[in-house]
Amino acid sequence: MRKETQRDLFPGALEMMILRTLKRQPLHGYALAQHIKRMSDDLLQIEEGSLYPALQRLLKDELVKAEWGVSATNRRVRIYKLTAAGAKRLELEVSKFERMLEGITRVLAPGQS
Amino acid sequence: MNWMRRLLSRRKIYGELSEEIRGHLEEKTAELVAGGMPREEAEVAARRVFGNVTLAEEDGRDVWKWLSIEKFFMDARYSLRMLRKNPGFTVAAVLTLALGIGANAALFSVIDAVLLRPLPFRDPERLVAVHAVDIKDAAYNGEISYPAFLDWRSRSHSFEAMSVWWTTSVTYAGGTQAVSVRGVVVSANLLSLLGVSPALGRSFVEEEDQPRGEQLPVILSYEFWQGQFGGDANILGRSLTLDDQKYVVVGVMPARFQFPVQANRVELWTTIARDMLGKSGMATQRGVSYLQVIARLKPGVSIPQAQSDVALIQEQMNRQYPEDRPRSAAINTESEQISGSMRPALMILLGAVGFVLLIACANVASLLLARAAGRQKEFAIRSALGASRGTIVRQLLTESLLLAMIGGVLGLLLAHWATSALIALAPEGLARTSDIALDLRVLGFTFLVALVTGVLFGLVPAVQASRCDLNRGLEDSGRGSSSGAGRSRLRNTLVVSQLAIAFVLLIGAGLLLRSFNRLQHVDPGFRADHVLTFLLEVPSQHHPGAQRPAFVREILQTTRALPGVKSATAVFGLPLSEQQDVYTAAEAEGHPLPRSQRPRVGFRIIESQYFSTMGIRVVEGRAFTPQDELGGRSLAIVNETLARLMFKGEDPIGRRIKPSISFGESDDAPMREIVGVVADVKSGSIAGKTAPEIYVPQTPVDFIGEMTVVVRAMNDPNSLVPAVRSLVNSMDKDIPMRQVKTLDQYVSGSISAPRFEAVLLGTFAGLAFVLTAVGLYGVISYSVAQRTREMGIRIALGAPRGSISRMVVRQGALLALVGGGVGLIASVFAVQLIRGLLFGIGSTDPATFIAVPLLLLMVALLASYVPARRATKVDPIVALRYE
Repeated sequence: MRKETQRDLFPGALEMMILRTLKRQPLHGYALAQHIKRMSDDLLQIEEGSLYPALQRLLKDELVKAEWGVSATNRRVRIYKLTAAGAKRLELEVSKFERMLEGITRVLAPGQS
Repeated sequence: MNWMRRLLSRRKIYGELSEEIRGHLEEKTAELVAGGMPREEAEVAARRVFGNVTLAEEDGRDVWKWLSIEKFFMDARYSLRMLRKNPGFTVAAVLTLALGIGANAALFSVIDAVLLRPLPFRDPERLVAVHAVDIKDAAYNGEISYPAFLDWRSRSHSFEAMSVWWTTSVTYAGGTQAVSVRGVVVSANLLSLLGVSPALGRSFVEEEDQPRGEQLPVILSYEFWQGQFGGDANILGRSLTLDDQKYVVVGVMPARFQFPVQANRVELWTTIARDMLGKSGMATQRGVSYLQVIARLKPGVSIPQAQSDVALIQEQMNRQYPEDRPRSAAINTESEQISGSMRPALMILLGAVGFVLLIACANVASLLLARAAGRQKEFAIRSALGASRGTIVRQLLTESLLLAMIGGVLGLLLAHWATSALIALAPEGLARTSDIALDLRVLGFTFLVALVTGVLFGLVPAVQASRCDLNRGLEDSGRGSSSGAGRSRLRNTLVVSQLAIAFVLLIGAGLLLRSFNRLQHVDPGFRADHVLTFLLEVPSQHHPGAQRPAFVREILQTTRALPGVKSATAVFGLPLSEQQDVYTAAEAEGHPLPRSQRPRVGFRIIESQYFSTMGIRVVEGRAFTPQDELGGRSLAIVNETLARLMFKGEDPIGRRIKPSISFGESDDAPMREIVGVVADVKSGSIAGKTAPEIYVPQTPVDFIGEMTVVVRAMNDPNSLVPAVRSLVNSMDKDIPMRQVKTLDQYVSGSISAPRFEAVLLGTFAGLAFVLTAVGLYGVISYSVAQRTREMGIRIALGAPRGSISRMVVRQGALLALVGGGVGLIASVFAVQLIRGLLFGIGSTDPATFIAVPLLLLMVALLASYVPARRATKVDPIVALRYE
């Protein structure tokens, strides 16, 4: 019912970016949000809050796991790690996404047909 | 098991999620503060970037839920809390619904048992009843003779099988005490036609339609076998004597099997061969029409096809047998046949009770609308906190459904109680009332009704509420002046519809009650009070021939000597008893008529004190004397209708008449001399017309084997029962006393169907009326409460208090007028439905059409006057201080 989180994204995009980010390094929620924001150069309008339902979905599907730890600023935080299943899913999603993107690009490309 | 662990650890997951989100916000705030932003500003900014905190948390939790079910339980829990917090509202709504749903459940349980449940036979939808229709006189409709039936059966092509049946009573004296039971004479193929077979032994075989040997075959009911023979395993092949005839038991039916399906139990079945015995067996005479016909349609044959098939055959027969009355044929389904005349009445009642439920729904919807107005703030806050419109609608619908379900459960309790009342009130002769029960079907129906009800009364207020404007909802103190214009229009519409429906129901009930009242005051032509009656069989083996009337006389003489007895007499063919009804054709001497044109007259055999004991007036001539019972001359007394019809103003005394009915040895019916004329008596039914009737004295010749003894008591007639019983027993212990009833019971039995209809529709209309009055009262008081400020201003500006209350009452009166007007128009159509149920009044009975609008208007004024008085008491200062 509530699709606001996907205003600028297609379903699953946020999850894909989270998985990609976590592949580089385990992070806690806040750091994850900041990282995605920074990397996208603020091109994407993402409410920070929408990160958390997405993380819960990934947790439930066991694509990531979480452990309580202490952050650099000395806060008690939950640090998310990619699981093996998560890494596999990421690969799959990325290749699917690339194919989709290619398809869209071809259609949008000027000149032909 | 994963899901189970999840279920258990869910609280922990939720806790972690909240903590995490809190941590996120704190970290963001800390960062912004570190960047030089003031703390307060930083907190707001952190939240803004984060988005809707509650929503994120809820969505996060939703990931772990089985969405729909859990949401429902959550909603239900919340709803229960809301309902508990408003006990007044809850009780009012639940009671209203319980009344509506309970009335529906109770009536449905009756209709289901009587009309809807399929008959307990194979492919019951193909079972039909075939009737003869007399072309000249509807009084002859129905039964046919056995030879005519054989013509139908051999010439028709529409049926897989056809069978005759008729019910009679027989005495079984083989047990400890003589009992009289009802037995059915049928065609041998009946059981296979129905698709049933005996639990023990065999069905009849085709050859058994003809008498062979001494004994006739009989099949017993399971209950009779258990009761009279203790379930004897060696019952098959056993001989037993019923009346004076020997039978051999060939089978026992399964428990609870009954054919025909009717109000009175039957205990045994034998074949039509029974009616072929003797010199002039009934089944051998084309002139004796006494048999019902049941048939099974061939697959794919429709009722109209079968009907024209039989009608065509009957047409040929009319030409072939000009002596017979010309007839046609009609067919209806067996289940229609069984529910008979009650079907339309029950359908009308079902409609009425449905309308009562609609009114109840409207009341609750109206209550909900009023409450929704008060809850605007709550909804506004909830949607501000992120609840979507769907969530709020769902929440409100859950509340409605919960209310409906609680109402449904309570309604079932009411129905449980009401059903026994309905059974007690059920018209005599209504078949299958013993099947009436609150079973799974009724439960399912009630659940469905409650569900639909909940959605019906819940949806409109829910959608209305969810449409509320967030800002205004929050600003409004909840007591605003004009916030509910659309809402009050909706409530007005609801109440107008209620008024219209109540109006129609009241008109219907008014008509039925007036008609019933007329019926109660019909003079039956005899005095029904203080009279005990019972049926006495006098089997010829005990009291052969000439002794039988003597035996009756003896019993009467001893009865008259009993203390508390005023007089006693006996009759064959007690009025309103529907037993021993004998009709025959008659002709007056000197006016010979072909058989097919002779009028149909009722025929009664009486003892000499009959008229004085019953209180029937002798208009002319004399009553019979004991001398007449010796049988010297053939005598008759006729009723006024017969005198008018057959003698057309001439004096009938001394004239002679010949009813075509003969007893004893002679085949030819005797001419009878008329010695008296008596007043008309309602003999068939209280509502019916009186037929021409002939009374003859009981004589050794004119005697049919059973008489109804009629005892007029000085006090309560029932108190005589033990004395009379022991008297009969002492005179002949093999004679059972049947049908021990007071004459009053016969009279009230004859109007039991109109009573049932009038009481039920009256109850439903009363319910509708009260609910509507409450609804109207609710709407007016609510609008008064809403307009408190306005009234305060008016009073402050100098409006006289009387004008304030007039204003309020005018509002109620206006609603009542509109509702009444709509109701009046609807009534004009609705009364057509019950026209057939009315007696003695027209469907536009002026008294009803004046009384109902007046009643409704009065109550509407009263319902508005109470809140109106409250309005005049408004203290302008208090009213204005609300701002």
